Amino acid sequence: MIKDMIDKQVIELKKLWANKRMLTFQLLNLAMIVFSALMIWKGLMFVTKVSVLLYWRFSRRIDCLFDDEMGWVDHNGRMSWRKYMLRCMLPLEDRLVSESPVVVVLSGSMEPAFQRGDILFLNNSVEKVDVGDVVVFKIKDRDIPIVHRILKVHQKPDGHVELLTKGDNNRVDDRGLYAPGQLWLEREDILGKAVGTLRYVGMVTIALNDYPVLKYVLVGMMGLFVLTSKEG
Amino acid sequence: MAKKNQKDDDESVEEEEELELLQVDVGDIMKVKQILDETVAGTISEKNEDLSSHGGKVKIEEDHRHDNMKLALMFTACCFAAMAQFGLKTEFPHDSNRWLLGLCCAVYFCISGILQLIMTFVDKDCIMVTKPLRDEAMIKLVKGSGNKEMDKYGIRVRTQFPRFSEFYTVILEFEGKENSEFVKETWSVGKFFDVDGFFDEEGLAIEIEELFQRFERGDFNKKESSDEAKTAKKSKKDSVKKD
Repeated sequence: MIKDMIDKQVIELKKLWANKRMLTFQLLNLAMIVFSALMIWKGLMFVTKVSVLLYWRFSRRIDCLFDDEMGWVDHNGRMSWRKYMLRCMLPLEDRLVSESPVVVVLSGSMEPAFQRGDILFLNNSVEKVDVGDVVVFKIKDRDIPIVHRILKVHQKPDGHVELLTKGDNNRVDDRGLYAPGQLWLEREDILGKAVGTLRYVGMVTIALNDYPVLKYVLVGMMGLFVLTSKEG
Repeated sequence: MAKKNQKDDDESVEEEEELELLQVDVGDIMKVKQILDETVAGTISEKNEDLSSHGGKVKIEEDHRHDNMKLALMFTACCFAAMAQFGLKTEFPHDSNRWLLGLCCAVYFCISGILQLIMTFVDKDCIMVTKPLRDEAMIKLVKGSGNKEMDKYGIRVRTQFPRFSEFYTVILEFEGKENSEFVKETWSVGKFFDVDGFFDEEGLAIEIEELFQRFERGDFNKKESSDEAKTAKKSKKDSVKKD
């Protein structure tokens, strides 16, 4: 039966190849479908003013290091040489960087509110962030964005705002994670406030990245289907 | 011996033809309509020498302008989308790139919307459009047979195949003419598909050729297409076939 299906698809493709106009139309149709999804994504980025450099972790062998973000730096702001070497040794495919208004929760520091594999929707067009808000922030000169909750907000008379964050599941606040000498975060360090969540959906993406072949198989099948079905 | 060989040849030709018969899942309505439409479009094309009652002397050319316009629109939309996706750095909060991104997205969605509107309200059920006849000799032949306007207007080929209905309708009318005369014919799909889904391409082609030749003769359907007229035409056709 699978052989029949493949044969049928091959016949359709041959027919398509013979008719160049139809082939162009179907290719453009396929491109428009893909671009529609991408433009919705970009449109969301435009509306939420978010650009998040997202560090996706797929290598299981260093999972244990990420489970406790406090382990990256000690209280003096120094990173142990072992962790630094490991981070530099990460192959490029392990450090896929994307910009999106949606992030996947990577670690367990926000349990039980968010688990690894949850998807968070971000909005950066909010002016003020308050105590209790879950935010994504990046420390200056570091690549890794962090998803934690705001613990304290200091508002100075001149309007300047200082923030302190902490992971729900961590024992102490994030001062150990900040840059050396930094005690507070500023509003500019905040990349977005979490406004919605989808449980576990990010696991699909994590699976697709753990097994890259799945990605190509899925996209290939979808592309073939769109090319050979002419419902457009 | 020679006769046997010829019989073998005929059989093998027949076998070949059978093998080439397209088979579809008759439950897949979209696929069935697609194949019927493709056959209709293929029959009404310049490659078909049996289309006109004047044989290969009258050739019908397909008009690709509308298709080309749609393709151009799709290509433009894809260019804007590609620029938004790959051409812009989106490291906000620098505002300049953000507005450009918004513009590209907006243009993409506008063009996409326009294309949808065109496909819904302009194309509707049309599957192809032909150009008016240009060749003097062809025009003379066709005018002689009855249809006086094939040099002024092209032909618009429309097909209808409602969901869950077994009846397939083909309509030929003048493109660009208000309240155009038309020829219309309806068949049950059972006439062209058997239980296993094998498609009688030749049979449909013959019906379409007859329909086109009716159009050529100027033998148009009455404007108020009542059921009686349809049934009368059908029974007339059946009786002509029996003869």
